[in-house]
Amino acid sequence: MSDVVEIDLNVSDEELQIISDETGTGLSVQELRTIKEYFQKEGRNPRDIELQALGQAWSEHCCYKSSKYYLKKHLFKFDAPQNLFVIKEDAGLVEFDDDHAYAVALESHNHPSAIEPYGGAATGIGGILRDVVCMGAQPIALIDPLFFAPPTTSSDMIPKGVKHPKYIFSGVVDGIRDYGNRVGIPTIAGMTAFHKGYLGNCLVNVGCVGLVDKKDIIYSRVGNVGDIYVLAGGGTGRDGIHGVTFASKELDDESQTSSRSAVQVGDPIMKEPLIHACLEANEKKLLTGMKDLGGGGLSCVVGEMALAGGYGAKVDLENVHLKESNLAPWEIWVSESQERMMMSVDKGDLDEVLSIFKKWDVPAVVIGKVIAEKRLHIKLNGKEIFDLDLEFLTEGPMYKRPVKRIVLRNNKTEYDEPGDYNETLISLLKDYNNACDDWVIRQYDFEVRARTVSPALVGKENFETHADASIIKPLEDSNRGLAMTSDVNPFLMELDPFWGAASAVDESVRNLIAIGARPHSFADCLNFGNPEKPEKMWEFEQAVQGLAHVIGKIGATFVSGNVSLYNEGPAGACPPTPSIMGLGIIDDVEKAITTPFKENGNLVYLVGTTKDEMGGSSYLRSRGIRGGVVPRSNPYELSNASNALLELMGKGKVMSCHDISEGGIACSIAEMCIGNGIGAKVALEGKHRRDVELFSESNTRWVCEVDPSEKDEFEDGIRSHQVALRLIGRTGGDSLVFTSENVPLIDIGVEKLMNTWQRPLWDIMG
Amino acid sequence: MDVNDINVCVLRIEGTNNEQEIFESFKRLGSNPSFVHLNEFSSLEDYQCLMIPGGFSSGDYVRAGAIFSSRIKSMFWDELLQFVKDGYPVGGICNGFQVLVELGLLPGFSRNIGKVNACLAQNDSARFECRHSVLKHISSKKCAFTKLLPEGEKLVVPSAHAEGKLMLPDEKMYQRLEKNGQIVFKYCDQNGDIEAGYPWNPNGSPHNIAGICSEKGNVFGMMPHPERSFFSENENGHSGSTIFRSVIGYIGERF
Repeated sequence: MSDVVEIDLNVSDEELQIISDETGTGLSVQELRTIKEYFQKEGRNPRDIELQALGQAWSEHCCYKSSKYYLKKHLFKFDAPQNLFVIKEDAGLVEFDDDHAYAVALESHNHPSAIEPYGGAATGIGGILRDVVCMGAQPIALIDPLFFAPPTTSSDMIPKGVKHPKYIFSGVVDGIRDYGNRVGIPTIAGMTAFHKGYLGNCLVNVGCVGLVDKKDIIYSRVGNVGDIYVLAGGGTGRDGIHGVTFASKELDDESQTSSRSAVQVGDPIMKEPLIHACLEANEKKLLTGMKDLGGGGLSCVVGEMALAGGYGAKVDLENVHLKESNLAPWEIWVSESQERMMMSVDKGDLDEVLSIFKKWDVPAVVIGKVIAEKRLHIKLNGKEIFDLDLEFLTEGPMYKRPVKRIVLRNNKTEYDEPGDYNETLISLLKDYNNACDDWVIRQYDFEVRARTVSPALVGKENFETHADASIIKPLEDSNRGLAMTSDVNPFLMELDPFWGAASAVDESVRNLIAIGARPHSFADCLNFGNPEKPEKMWEFEQAVQGLAHVIGKIGATFVSGNVSLYNEGPAGACPPTPSIMGLGIIDDVEKAITTPFKENGNLVYLVGTTKDEMGGSSYLRSRGIRGGVVPRSNPYELSNASNALLELMGKGKVMSCHDISEGGIACSIAEMCIGNGIGAKVALEGKHRRDVELFSESNTRWVCEVDPSEKDEFEDGIRSHQVALRLIGRTGGDSLVFTSENVPLIDIGVEKLMNTWQRPLWDIMG
Repeated sequence: MDVNDINVCVLRIEGTNNEQEIFESFKRLGSNPSFVHLNEFSSLEDYQCLMIPGGFSSGDYVRAGAIFSSRIKSMFWDELLQFVKDGYPVGGICNGFQVLVELGLLPGFSRNIGKVNACLAQNDSARFECRHSVLKHISSKKCAFTKLLPEGEKLVVPSAHAEGKLMLPDEKMYQRLEKNGQIVFKYCDQNGDIEAGYPWNPNGSPHNIAGICSEKGNVFGMMPHPERSFFSENENGHSGSTIFRSVIGYIGERF
């Protein structure tokens, strides 16, 4: 083991910058000056391990220094009665039923996935599982919103140091598949969006939901003075050094080589028993606290757990079990090697805890203990190498970064009607953003644990269409289900970050309602560019305000989330992307509604109002037109329509339902035809121009299939909530027909719709 | 024996991950399943049925099921052979099927039980695939796990695997399986056509074989997951649960 080195901070600002660069801590000169002052009071210089620990704790990734001001100002003011313990920990806890809570976590693994897609995505899954397990919860579902440049991007468009999006896409899906499937947690929902702005900064967001008996909830804080720190799981190695500081700056054309070591290596077959062992020890009440080792590794977990309990800690670093020798002490301290959990244990329970881990073949070692003084002391073979005030270390700075308004191109635009509406619909179904995702979905085991009662693909075997949300029935003896969806539309976001973000929440709500679930909680993963650029900070603030516009009025709030900034690379910044995970409760999973039409001769209704809001739509993109008005969202209308539909669905008055989003009502009804091979004949209203009615992506709209005998009850039920409703057609036949003033405008066989929509990703990805 | 007295050993090691749903399938029917970690395994003495669940035992980094099977061999091979010879049922689903093949318990010709003469090879699509398969029940007489399922019955059962193509050394051996009535399930389409091809046969398994049993019928393995379609009844009231009901019925009658 190499030695600890003292670092002299009594130098000029230029030299401080050099120190920051050479140590790779990512600390700014201003931050280093603050550290210098602290150590002047201590009467000494920092050691490398201390400076490294500060670099981790004060990174954007760990302390949210750029985002927390705006999050507190706009988003954290809402609450909901079902929230049990939210925002503060690795996962949010929300009530599931009288005896159970569910844990929700969502975060990004963007930078690692851009460098090494397979390992980056796999370890993203590993990390999010730990976030849920450390609340004492059994993971029950994984959710992956993914964002790439189009796989068809031509090779000469790829800047130096950037990997081809097809390679990244394929590697990311492989990584999620191999980790998620091996660890035996179903990947049940997600989304895949393609936009050229993700060239060089793919976004890999990973979400996990777990279930915990309320009496087994455990927090990420130590219990008492004298508690023992037990580190369990894989050995600590040189993988994942500086993961968080790497995630807190822009990627450049050198990152591919210089930052390879920041990506961790995953081992699902260590994780699977680690989960069992941690949960077993917790259920036996042998732990006083538990937290996963994620960003910042030991340096974050030891201090944060101690301080959260109101105490400090003492660590003997030589006890940490290693994957490889010759690690410098600071490397051990900040390594982000995977599959590790930290527990605090009462001395009397230590032997029993260690024996549980032994049974599961999982290494577990004692590395330190809890002390009363709020400081962190580390010794290496008896010699002190670290002594810092924990509040100073963990608090981190907070910035109110300046914002600068961008002039948006979101005014109404003029364009002609298309010549051939059949061809237009076909081209929209082929758009990778609208086409069937089953190339991705089928690589994931979405039914392991046998709790998936409604997966992401629904309909007749091998003719399945997209579901709006997936449903897990987590308990053996209860029919209560948890529905999950994830949404955001980068094309709306780039045109208008406020209304784009509002639309993302609206879409999440619609998706939950469409399957008959009551929106219950949300998680957000906010992926944005460099916050030091005022325009990017403005996009961030706008988006956060857009989320707040809707979230405050729908009876559910954000309970967990993550901010990922600096998503910029050699090809520029990614579109602002707040990916939203929505969770809903369905009291009886037997009453769940699915997308495909069920029978011939039923009524087809449009619930909600179509407006001339074409900005960012799939249709205008297909015509090569930028600009246009981005769809608005009125949370009161959303709430009224949601209540009306849930009431009718509870009474069994809705046979199928699908929300209207990308590709408008035309694509939405096409997807409803596909699952069971039932066509429909639909008449346009004639209120707007025909292309607007067919392809507008106005929010707060659904298509419903209703049995003719329920006509009056359905119509009264919707209208009694002051929600707009129109009978637009009937199901039946082998084709999808849209008529305008009784003349067919679109007439395409269902089989052709199916083949067109189902093939694109298979054809390009193989 | 009474269903309440039937003890089922659900064996697990690191990476097995379908044990919970197998456990629940047996529990729902009134029998007594227990999870037994290989590290805590002592004997089969108290059990009337051994189940090897699906998953990725030890990561399946070598060859699907290879590590789990060699650990079983080194720990209790003789006892397991006796268990099988005594007629007790042994079932493997997905990775469990791969383990039973690696052990040589399947195809399990009575003359040479334990001889490894098959493997579950990589899917033709060369990737993991999760999709609902339609299975046709072929042999109704022999298999302990399908005694209650009529011949020709169709069940929708989820498939989720990367290596599910049952490969035997030569065509003669497929014919032998057929002749012995050891082929239990074949993939088919919604109309029952077993020649419907991909994706109905998700892995390219020759003769569309989805599940087989030993010559005596008490060892059974299948790639799709009946424990995941426990409640999805077909028009005749059969579902994945019929598999578990059958084996419980078999034990009840025989022991």
